[in-house]
Amino acid sequence: MDLVLIVLAAATASALAAALGVLPLLVRPTPPTAWLAWANALAAGMMIAAAFALAEPVQGAASGAFALGALVGILFIHGSRAFSQTEGLALNRLDQATPEYGYEVLLVGSLHSAAEGVAIGAAMASDAAFGVFVAAALALHNVPEGTLHTAVFRSRGVSLPRAAALAVVANLGQVVLAVTSFAVVVAAPAALPWALGFAAGALIYLVMVDLLPESYAGAGSTSIALAVILAMWAFSLLHRVLRG
Amino acid sequence: MSQAGYVFAYGMVTAVATALGVLPFAFVRQISPRVIAASNAIASGLMLGACFGLVAEGAELGTWQTGVGGLLGVLFILITQRLLAHSDAGFGDVRGAGARKMILIVVVMTVHSIAEGVAIGASFAGGVTLATLITVAIAVHNVPEGLAITAVLRPQGTSLASCAWWSFFSSLPQPLVAVPAFFFVDAFTPALPYALGFAAGAMVFMVLVELLPEAYEEGQRATVGLLVSLSLIAMVAFQRML
Repeated sequence: MDLVLIVLAAATASALAAALGVLPLLVRPTPPTAWLAWANALAAGMMIAAAFALAEPVQGAASGAFALGALVGILFIHGSRAFSQTEGLALNRLDQATPEYGYEVLLVGSLHSAAEGVAIGAAMASDAAFGVFVAAALALHNVPEGTLHTAVFRSRGVSLPRAAALAVVANLGQVVLAVTSFAVVVAAPAALPWALGFAAGALIYLVMVDLLPESYAGAGSTSIALAVILAMWAFSLLHRVLRG
Repeated sequence: MSQAGYVFAYGMVTAVATALGVLPFAFVRQISPRVIAASNAIASGLMLGACFGLVAEGAELGTWQTGVGGLLGVLFILITQRLLAHSDAGFGDVRGAGARKMILIVVVMTVHSIAEGVAIGASFAGGVTLATLITVAIAVHNVPEGLAITAVLRPQGTSLASCAWWSFFSSLPQPLVAVPAFFFVDAFTPALPYALGFAAGAMVFMVLVELLPEAYEEGQRATVGLLVSLSLIAMVAFQRML
């Protein structure tokens, strides 16, 4: 199969995983805040480990391009949050009444998925197996994110299937960006450390500005720290074992 | 100088380098809550970034050993934290939660230096050129570690000189462990991936359970996020360059 098709399939599968996020809601229609906090913490750990994995192929002189790419990635997310005025947004409010809130959560979700798209594309261009692994990890991350999104929409009276569909739509940007960044890096291999850096910086910044503060707000810091570490540990170990 | 003397001297260079980490704080006059948040955020980023290098290095020697070491490191901090919570330990004039955090960071950084001491000693077995390379690399990356320690101690009112001393102290295991590690390299080398994993686990857990929650409490989310991310990336890129 053509590599671009693999990128397309992997990124799409990862976006679709958001729909699995409805499953916890079938058990508990309004999930406790601590569930969302732990899910966010697991996602955070996985994303930190993914960012570390993206830095690993970088060696020597390419580190400069990696660092600058990361700076651009961090400032890109920082700037778009400030521009859309969503930087102070709490992502775990199930009670907030304003309709804008739902849109804002979707917007932040799309930003997350944009960064994930670049991560999948850049990883795939660096090594196909690594790319599939990153896509699988981000798919896992999309499940709790999907739970969050569907829970927010459900609490606003959206039907379950529609809420699940919206959660997937919020992630569609990652398919486009995965394919685009893959194509760019394949066409211009010198761009690889930049793309890896951009993805790593953006992922780290999203963890530090969204996922972790939300997690700490929803559960005790010891349980959050353990969840983050568990995810980091499992991801790094699996990554290395699969690579052999 | 005897071989042991060389190994000790090389280890000492890395320990002194750690004390240089206080320098940026010579320019910070007022310790406001914003400075505390920023310091915690920068220390968090530097320590998380350092773990990237520890794990990468450990995994080259043994993936599972590094993983097991990591879990033990987390367990170590959990237990130390519990012990400190039930004791009335003080650090200088500071008591309570502040002192607990100060003790924890000094303990974490000191324990993690053991792994680096083993690395220095073992590298001498590979020749002086390799040892010089590794020593310079460790010395350079010790500077931000001293910065991380100072960033936690300084806001509690510790003097710059004391911060420099504790930074130096945290790296003392490097010369002390390097010498036996050099002579008994066959015995020490298999322990290295465990030690590196242990250091990484202890540092990540310390950051996540103590430093980051406080940073978010004292500072603005966007600022804290920016500082952690930038210092983390800088540390990772820096290690990839060496």
